Amino acid sequence: MSTFKLRVKINDVSLEREVTRIVGEEWVITGQERELFSYPAFLPLKVTPPLVVLPGSEEEVIEIVKLFKSKRTKYLIRGAGTSLSGSTTPTQGEVVISLNRLNKVFYTQGLEITVGPGIANLHIGKFIDSDVFYAPDPSSYVVSSIGGNISHDSGGMHTPKYGTTFNSVVSLRVLLPDGSVEDLNGRNLDPLPLFVGSEGTLGIILRATLRLFPKPGISRTLLAAFDNVEDAGKAVVEIYKVGVTPASLEFMDKPSIIAVENTQYKANYPEAEAILLIELDGNSIQVEEEMRRSKLAISKCNGRFYEPTSEEEKTRWWIGRKGAFPSFAYYSPSYLTLDANVPRSSLPKILEFTYAIGRKYSLPVANCFHAGDGTLHPLIGFNSEDRENTINAIKAAEEITYYALTLGGVPSGEHGIGIEKLKFMPVYYSSEDIEVMRRIKESFDPEFILNPCKLIPPKEKECIAVGEIHKHLMEVD
Amino acid sequence: MEVEKLISMCTHCGFCLETCPTFSVTRNEVHSPRGRIEAIRSKIESYGLQTCMFCRLCETACPAGVKYGQIVLPFRKRNVKQSLFLRSLESPRATYLLLKGSQKISLKEAQRFKEFTKGLKVERQIEGEDDEPEIVLFPGCLEGVLFRETVEKALNFLRKRYKVKIINGCCGLAHFSAGNIEKAKELASRLGTIKKPIVTLQSNCAAHMKEYKELFGLEVEVFDFAEFLIRKGVDLPRKEGKVTIHYPCNAYRKGLTKYVVEVIKKMGINVREMEDPQFECGSGGDYWITHPEMSDKVREIKKTKIEKSGVNTVISTNSVCSLSILRSGFKPLHVADLL
Repeated sequence: MSTFKLRVKINDVSLEREVTRIVGEEWVITGQERELFSYPAFLPLKVTPPLVVLPGSEEEVIEIVKLFKSKRTKYLIRGAGTSLSGSTTPTQGEVVISLNRLNKVFYTQGLEITVGPGIANLHIGKFIDSDVFYAPDPSSYVVSSIGGNISHDSGGMHTPKYGTTFNSVVSLRVLLPDGSVEDLNGRNLDPLPLFVGSEGTLGIILRATLRLFPKPGISRTLLAAFDNVEDAGKAVVEIYKVGVTPASLEFMDKPSIIAVENTQYKANYPEAEAILLIELDGNSIQVEEEMRRSKLAISKCNGRFYEPTSEEEKTRWWIGRKGAFPSFAYYSPSYLTLDANVPRSSLPKILEFTYAIGRKYSLPVANCFHAGDGTLHPLIGFNSEDRENTINAIKAAEEITYYALTLGGVPSGEHGIGIEKLKFMPVYYSSEDIEVMRRIKESFDPEFILNPCKLIPPKEKECIAVGEIHKHLMEVD
Repeated sequence: MEVEKLISMCTHCGFCLETCPTFSVTRNEVHSPRGRIEAIRSKIESYGLQTCMFCRLCETACPAGVKYGQIVLPFRKRNVKQSLFLRSLESPRATYLLLKGSQKISLKEAQRFKEFTKGLKVERQIEGEDDEPEIVLFPGCLEGVLFRETVEKALNFLRKRYKVKIINGCCGLAHFSAGNIEKAKELASRLGTIKKPIVTLQSNCAAHMKEYKELFGLEVEVFDFAEFLIRKGVDLPRKEGKVTIHYPCNAYRKGLTKYVVEVIKKMGINVREMEDPQFECGSGGDYWITHPEMSDKVREIKKTKIEKSGVNTVISTNSVCSLSILRSGFKPLHVADLL
């Protein structure tokens, strides 16, 4: 695969002119404002793109992609810019195509809705009947786009019962790098599943039909408090063992609780070393029974359980959980959010390990995560102005992810590989696996122009390292 | 706090984007709170800094508590026409004269003013005070001139219970939003000497005046009209009807709109909630005059949200919001109009 002759020059005037002809002057960004698109929510690396385009229709996107193909221009797709793994950082001089304007709702009926990729997850709820809901709810759902959610197979709190975004995609209309449009439905050898979680490396999602679930009759909350992290970890396993499938099962450790209680998200949780926040939903008889069994499981693991005494308290508990990440600013405004996924039974081990790593690098660490599906979210604070400190935080994160892999985990549960976790791909996958991935990439994007150097670890000298941090991220230790 | 320090709190998560009216209509990072903060952080020229409506709804969505307003304020540039309009708000007489005069001028801005005030009478503000007044009624700069009847109703209602003094003028929010902090401070100082409780008919003025202490070190006891009615436990008449309620942006951010809802519900009026009631009305202080195109796009979205409620009568407790609502073909009513 040859890649390196394909760089876009910032002063490629004819490209700029042609793009302007397609979308209009207002929607092409050429000056200093390009910098505003130099990074998503992955903070350690910023690279200014040569050009930013904001097409307003599917037709315009298709025309741009055809133009880029003819000129062999590298590009990537950006949605709301919330990636935590750097999947939309234009490291290889890619033009950024922002799809925020493609936020139309085309059709909604029964348990399905068809939308453009730029619509925010939150807004789906405004277009559907009140007795149904869209289940995937990543913490960024107030802003993250459906296109980005699909590209990252985003999870959220409701995955234990309703699955990740993968389980909520019915069909996709994708635009391939050769300019052709395909409607995919996932049947037989149809490659729809490849596009869910491909991090914008195979094609562009132009339209998605999503699955809706009927709203459960009732939903109840249970809070379990523990005197040590180990018991809380055991209780997660025990709850499943007794036959309960919670709608949500969230874990917060003491550092997270302290942070939350010191910010606007103050929840007044009971005193504990760790808590589990559990949501059970369904019909009343089933929920009653699940409540009873969950309480037994908690008691068996030396936990104390609490039910909210009012709607207000219930809301406060959940808002506290939702605010746990941003509350980490109590320790450090910049932080890395890991998302390795481990078997539930190894939760106590990995949690202890995260604290040890925090001590080793003298960095603040807290854990607040989706225990129900084993997706960890260790948060590691660092000072983004200090390069050495930043690299230390990255190293700490890497140690934790490596350890998660030895416990049988996967490198990323929901945030994606992007550039952040490239080096874990060869650890988790065999070289044959990676070769197959490269072949898949090649069949969709033979020119290697769509979001290159992400997700699949690059071969030597295939990708430019933009600075020390990027170099460190791409190198296998 | 220094701007750099305030900026460093922004973790670039983007949670603010969808609350921002100008991002909602452009879908462009340039016109988003995160984009604006980033422009200041990287010291670049960005048109986005001039398109902010300064509703500061982004602050309500920010998980890290970033003080967006304080960050962007020093970077907002005023144009001459905007300065003229703001100057006129500083004296009640000048406000009256400008609004009256604008009906006859053919300037683009004056035309727009005419469109937005169609059907309203431009009148002189009510003045006067009882002996030994207990409270001050502060109608707000535009209310007294464009909605004199509302001021009358509020005054009559309050005078049955309190001795009242009316003070006309400007709280300085418009100047503050435009980045004219010195003038905003001067206007605040004028009201800052009042030692009696102030009741205002402008929810956004109430919100701004509640920030006098943080911004200028001035302490005033100020209530939004609905807040005053609830907190003083004033008996409310029963009324019939069906309304939807608009939440003025600053008042929403300061948690004042809940009092408006409470007053309306206590009166027994049927409330049909509109979608995102706090979404910017399109006025943005004097934004509707200085940025007509963007303002109209925002107003269009607001119009759709109001329409979805299925009700034509909109409770609006801020006069510039009422102008936008009126322009979109709805009937704006202040809480005082119902008394």
